[in-house]
Amino acid sequence: MSGESDMEQLTNLVVAEGELTNIARTLGRLALDTNAGHTLLLDKSGQLISAQGSGPQRDLIALGALLAGAFSSSRQVAEILGERDFRAIYQQGAYESIYTLMIGEQWLLVVVFDKQTHVGLVKVLARKASEELERILQRVRQGSAQAREQVVSVQFRDSVSNTIDLLFQD
Amino acid sequence: MALINVANREIQCKIVYYGTGFCGKTTNLHYIYGHAPARAHGAMRSIATENERTLFFDFLPIDLGTVHGFRVQFALYTVPGQVLYERTRVAVLNGVDGVVFVADSSPEKLEENFQNLIELETNMRRMGKDLGSFPFVMQWNKRDLPNAVPVATLDRYLNRRHVPAFPACATTGEGVFATLRAICKAVMAVL
Ligand SMILES: Nc1nc2c(ncn2[C@@H]2O[C@H](COP(=O)(O)OP(=O)(O)OP(=O)(O)O)[C@@H](O)[C@H]2O)c(=O)[nH]1
Ligand SMILES: [Mg+2]
Repeated sequence: MSGESDMEQLTNLVVAEGELTNIARTLGRLALDTNAGHTLLLDKSGQLISAQGSGPQRDLIALGALLAGAFSSSRQVAEILGERDFRAIYQQGAYESIYTLMIGEQWLLVVVFDKQTHVGLVKVLARKASEELERILQRVRQGSAQAREQVVSVQFRDSVSNTIDLLFQD
Repeated sequence: MALINVANREIQCKIVYYGTGFCGKTTNLHYIYGHAPARAHGAMRSIATENERTLFFDFLPIDLGTVHGFRVQFALYTVPGQVLYERTRVAVLNGVDGVVFVADSSPEKLEENFQNLIELETNMRRMGKDLGSFPFVMQWNKRDLPNAVPVATLDRYLNRRHVPAFPACATTGEGVFATLRAICKAVMAVL
């Protein structure tokens, strides 16, 4: 997949303050309009960029890791089946269901919703939100290198190194 | 892909333990879970078969706390090492920032280690990443085995890139933290 390797040139993603607000707003609106307990934006490695919704308190870090794993795994299945344009999975539960949609090659939009909401609505609105998020994420990518300089200094790296030594001793 | 969230003041990185089935990847994470300070890690999640072989992955979030105003986190994953799960390993590698290759020191596993390493290189290349210029360390595990292959031999056959390598016994924890420190620092160095 050559498209994917272009994407991979980017080694890290820096999300600045203003853009995170935009992301949160888009996720918040999607949660409201679909009556979803949670809407999440993950990067494909399973890391949580933002979460919205008023659903019950949950271990969203673990949820993110598992959902990204499940998506990634389904994608491998699709590849074996020769499926070309695999972009979404829908997990149907008795009480709550999960719809996961890939944005670009790099991110996942997740909607956790209950049986009051029709999955058709979720699909349509998630698609709309994903277009908006894709635009925001494009900008985030472009601004990444610059914003990174402001955070990661030599001193910062040294301090992290010291913390690692301090915490992980035999 | 490391995530630097300026707004939330968080940095998140993904580290994957790779290696053949039964080489001791899950044991590494168990040891870290059991011996790192409680504030430095979250709950460990394992998706495993009934007999404790990893089916999908193990997941252990590590939290360094706040450094210069940023909360630094590493997500540790293991792949399922059995040959059968090749595609699953590809899925777990997705978006990785640093790799630990755990080699099994038993002599009958030498060839399997070697094949597994080649598979890792191929998978990384497919994701557009070259292990030669990527945060990457090795661990020679099961050094306690009476017939363990000498470190020099492992080094010659498996470590052609001369990356940092750590002798270990994951069951007693020897070398486990040394490996973890090295990979975390290697990831931070290229952040
Ligand atoms: N003697 C010895 N045994 C070890 C060592 N590390 C792990 N083991 C044992 O090796 C077996 C397999 O360890 P795991 O950590 O489950 O191996 P794994 O790499 O996660 O295996 P998969 O999940 O199948 O990929 C267990 O019985 C461990 O107790 C070691 O350093 N020395
Ligand atoms: Mg395992």
